[in-house]
Amino acid sequence: MDRGTYTSIRKFRHPSVEGVTVAQRLKEVDVVVIGVGMVGSILAKELAAAGYKVVGLERGTTRFTVPEFQSPGIHDELRFDVRKALMQDNTREPVTFRNHSSETGLPIRRWESFLPGTGLGGSMVHWNGQTFRFQANDFELATRTRERYGKGFLDPDLTLQDWGVTYDELEPHYDRFEYLLGTSGKAGNLKGQIQPGGDPHESPRSRDYPTPPQKEHYSGALFRKAASSLGHHPFPQPSSNLSQPYTNPEGLKMNTCVFCGFCERYACEHYAKSTPQTFILPVLLANSNFELRTGCQVQRINLDSSKKRATGVTYIDNAGRELEQPASLVITCLFAINNIRMLLLSGIGKPYDPVTGKGVVGRNYAYQTMSTVASFFDEDVIINPFMASGASGTMINDFAGDNFDHSGLGFVGGAFIGAVNTNGRPIQYHPTPPGTPTWGKGWKDAVVKHYNHTVMFSLHGSSVSQRQNYADLDPTYKDAWGQPLLRITFDFPKNDLRMAEYVTARGVEIGKAMGAKQVVGSPRKGPYTTQQYQTTHNTGGTVMGNDPSTSVVNRYLQSWDVPNVFVIGASAYPQNASWNPTGTLGALTYWVADALKSRYLKNPGHLVSP
Amino acid sequence: MKYVLATLILSGASVARAAPPPEVATCQACHGVHGEGVVDGGKPRLAGQSAHYLDKQLRDFASGARDNAIMGAIAKGLNDQTRSKVVAFYASLPVPVPLEHASATAAQAERGHQLAIEGAEGKRVQACNNCHGPDGSGVALSAPALAGQLATYLAAQLKLWQQGGRKNDAGNLMSSVASKLDDADIAAVTSYYAGLNASTPASH
Repeated sequence: MDRGTYTSIRKFRHPSVEGVTVAQRLKEVDVVVIGVGMVGSILAKELAAAGYKVVGLERGTTRFTVPEFQSPGIHDELRFDVRKALMQDNTREPVTFRNHSSETGLPIRRWESFLPGTGLGGSMVHWNGQTFRFQANDFELATRTRERYGKGFLDPDLTLQDWGVTYDELEPHYDRFEYLLGTSGKAGNLKGQIQPGGDPHESPRSRDYPTPPQKEHYSGALFRKAASSLGHHPFPQPSSNLSQPYTNPEGLKMNTCVFCGFCERYACEHYAKSTPQTFILPVLLANSNFELRTGCQVQRINLDSSKKRATGVTYIDNAGRELEQPASLVITCLFAINNIRMLLLSGIGKPYDPVTGKGVVGRNYAYQTMSTVASFFDEDVIINPFMASGASGTMINDFAGDNFDHSGLGFVGGAFIGAVNTNGRPIQYHPTPPGTPTWGKGWKDAVVKHYNHTVMFSLHGSSVSQRQNYADLDPTYKDAWGQPLLRITFDFPKNDLRMAEYVTARGVEIGKAMGAKQVVGSPRKGPYTTQQYQTTHNTGGTVMGNDPSTSVVNRYLQSWDVPNVFVIGASAYPQNASWNPTGTLGALTYWVADALKSRYLKNPGHLVSP
Repeated sequence: MKYVLATLILSGASVARAAPPPEVATCQACHGVHGEGVVDGGKPRLAGQSAHYLDKQLRDFASGARDNAIMGAIAKGLNDQTRSKVVAFYASLPVPVPLEHASATAAQAERGHQLAIEGAEGKRVQACNNCHGPDGSGVALSAPALAGQLATYLAAQLKLWQQGGRKNDAGNLMSSVASKLDDADIAAVTSYYAGLNASTPASH
């Protein structure tokens, strides 16, 4: 958007001052979907195919594999990696952050810790393709932890809770999502039968992955051998950068990944990474029941005078016009933190108060606890880190979730450990051992020496929710449209730092068993900082559950307060598990689509009595 | 600067003048004296193609992974030492100027250019240059040069990929792409590459 348009939008910030009249009211539709990313495009497709009139409102631009994602432009590391070209525009719409409620939140002016995307296809366009299921235990974490370790096991300020939905209920939807994406992997548990070569810890799946695992990287082979020698259970990371050509149930063809090493922060030029552009958008956009509108910044969900029914949404388009789109059903499918903000701006649900512990919107904000292990080899071990996909790792789940006995360890949760070398891009990837100068000749020499001879492990740790961590509206800072920003208050719970310490020590053991010359474990330490990339796995804030006093939405992700509003995103997770959240979000999306089609739309109202 | 350029040109010329090793006599009969290819019968240019690519193709011809009666027989006759000499020779040759001059219509030229540098969303085909390098100049360890290659040869290969007669790439990439192209696309994109002058550095 150019400066001129921006100016015209600014005029609408104070309509009363500028003398602008009320929003233009558009023709009512059945469904408004806010945000046309992964969730929005899947749901819109399901509902449009079922005969409902659906409008999708996307704040960003349209973009497709051709021409927008083509080489060589898409491999511009400065533009996409350093300057974050695909991300939410934080000159217009940042997020404020502070570690503790005693501090003043400040706007994040440069995305580093996490990278919310914008534009058609959403954040999934720039994901790595790591496609996991959570385990049965994760969905009943509070209950099962109490049962296994006793009542006093958890730190008292933790607010863990069950999801209100079980793994068995979600299994068919996980399956459907994986077959939509064509995910490449190896089953470890088929209907209760443990399968050699897969993950023996996974919860039972009804059938194998749609495509076989990606080729194993050399670092993965080293990891596999070492982890096996220690009695662990290595398996190929499930990847939605595909191992072979695949035609999904929507009839869309995808290609084999070429291991170019430009997944996360980039879009795929080859139709090989599963994104809405490759797995569903062509089908959705061909359906005349669906209308896509881009450049639409939704300001709020409108409620009637009872505050118990949504009447539609109000948005500002690219021309600066304020428009009201009436709808019978509103589904907010934004990136997790933006879902929280949409509810707060719309007055839906009671905002969370960390002092009293009452209220629900913004409660149980959690993240991911990422640690690393770097194994430095001599120059005769050649790793070629640039030959990679975003998910072509080899990993173990032996220290993830509740797959090991936590008695006496003083924490709940865990991490997957994997040789997950997603790239070797020249500007951002240069592992060096501790003690290396941070600039100048000494640094350059070390980068050259170690670039091709280092194996990096990712230790992808769970994140518990605790009373002090939450999100609310910032009292000071506003976006380009005059609306309050979201404020995140977060620091790592001690539980998770203890977990990181323990799991990193296990990772170091594997690095040593690989025969590396030097192994450096870096367990995650507090305080949390937004200035270092960790992961874009923000969760919670519009939590699902069976108790309206501790959840924003019911088990079908339907608002307890305004039943014709559904809120779908990783914001629904009561706490975050040891794996990337996307697979579970895909399963939840189909779970909700089923509930909408088979129950809600036939008889609108509460799917669960509040 | 002028001195440097002159040196480069001279050294290039000296490579071109180097006498071919005797092992390539068989190749020259079909692929031209300087490996420039022969339009009649669509014999591809070999000059300036990467050593890795040439070596893999010869091995695949020998094993049958790439099916061609004539090349299969010839490749089987090469031992490791001879093959590496032949491969090194052709890889070292300068890329010749195109043998064919584009006879494409304006619309065809535009379509060819589009498929090469941008792809076609309607067919879910990505740009050829994504893998084959800027201006189809090739990427040494993964994809052959297309620039200046004979249109008849390229078209015949695309047909083979399409129909399953050729499968010796990684991940079935070429059959995925070729199966989405129709005859008009193939005519357009092959005449585009045939007309590209790869003997000069990439223009962008």
